[in-house]
Amino acid sequence: MRVDLEDLLFSRGLFSLRGSGTFEEGVHLISGPVGSGKSTLALLLAELLRPGSGAVRRHDVSSALLLLQFPEHQITCPTVAEEIGSWGLAPEDVLAQADLLRRGDDDPFHLSRGELKRLVLACTLMRNPDLLMLDEPFSSLDCTAKRTACRMIEERDEGITIIFSHERAVLPRVDTLWEMEAGTLTACGSVPCAIPRWRHAPPYLRYALDEGACPENIRLADAREALCRIRG
Amino acid sequence: MQDPRLRLLAAVFLSLAAFASTAGAVAVLAWWLIFTPRTKVLPRLGVFLPLIAMIAATALLSAWGGGAGLSYLIRMLALLLLAAWTYAGTEDGEVLAVAVWALGNRVGFEIGLIAEMGLTSLAVIRQEIEQMRVAMALKGIRPGARSIVPLAVTLIVTQIRRSDEIARLLVVRGYTIGGRICPRFSADQRDIPAFLTAIIPGVLSCLPLRDVFILVG
Repeated sequence: MRVDLEDLLFSRGLFSLRGSGTFEEGVHLISGPVGSGKSTLALLLAELLRPGSGAVRRHDVSSALLLLQFPEHQITCPTVAEEIGSWGLAPEDVLAQADLLRRGDDDPFHLSRGELKRLVLACTLMRNPDLLMLDEPFSSLDCTAKRTACRMIEERDEGITIIFSHERAVLPRVDTLWEMEAGTLTACGSVPCAIPRWRHAPPYLRYALDEGACPENIRLADAREALCRIRG
Repeated sequence: MQDPRLRLLAAVFLSLAAFASTAGAVAVLAWWLIFTPRTKVLPRLGVFLPLIAMIAATALLSAWGGGAGLSYLIRMLALLLLAAWTYAGTEDGEVLAVAVWALGNRVGFEIGLIAEMGLTSLAVIRQEIEQMRVAMALKGIRPGARSIVPLAVTLIVTQIRRSDEIARLLVVRGYTIGGRICPRFSADQRDIPAFLTAIIPGVLSCLPLRDVFILVG
């Protein structure tokens, strides 16, 4: 199972996006500043936008799903329970997972932004597609919900997961790092070798690297553990 | 047509003509062919064709029941093309400017503001329908009769909520009634002939021609 980006080129006005590379099974993190083209790349990978040239080729991918950056854009039903049903999922399971028990009859737009994000994120993850693309999955979430989201992402033991995020505080364990800057996608490589090359590394990771530690992964716990190792 | 005052007035006269008679509607179609950029102002086919199909189906049913189906089809088509032309040519703030020019800073401003909000809502609804289409595609839901009802409910509820939010926002910003703007308009060379030509079918459709001319037959 893999997804190939073959000399992808997409232009809209003055903005151009370029990218090449292969997404193998595992968790990929595409980081970059706001406005660098992450969401556009997500839409291209989800085949919701057509590239000007080049192609996105999926190999042995039977199902794909994109979590949109704004959760309200994913809502198509007037109640939370019906909304979950529209994803082909059982409401009870998702409501428990999203910590929204007894909210099934509520209007989705009466949920707070964070609650709505939890709901859509839970639906997306529980559908468990071969190719899962998460556009800013941690935005609007508090630290507890971010950690829950990270745990759910880490629990996906098969398929391709691509996270597009500018989050720099709570991150999941990942296999590959990519960077998006001014519309250009660059592969940093596999973790942990790619970590020193990662320009958008969060401050705690940068600190650990500056101290001479070699974190195994990109989470705060990994940086802390690496620092403990060198300090005895 | 660049001047929004002439455009809106022309739309009123032409609508009257199209509504009043089949001959008026044919005159409107001819006017539309001569004075508008034609297909460039039409909405995309995905929106326009279903509307035409609905009108055609109603006309067919009417004709089948012995009604004036063909007349209905021509008149509704003329009105639809006219609406598309007016909507495509209207820019942000123009309706407010015309309303203030016509009715002043108090009543005109109120009416203009409401009309501007309505037009903005149309653009927002179009955007939301597009978002829902993407959401349905992502969920693997095929558009159909079963999916239309929840979609329509969600759209309506969202619009009502947005209106409420805008009303609250206006109150928070201290809006009570009226406002002050100095509308400025510009026109191009074709505006006057297009407007004058638009008046003719409008006026003729309102006049009782049988009282003016002695018709034979």
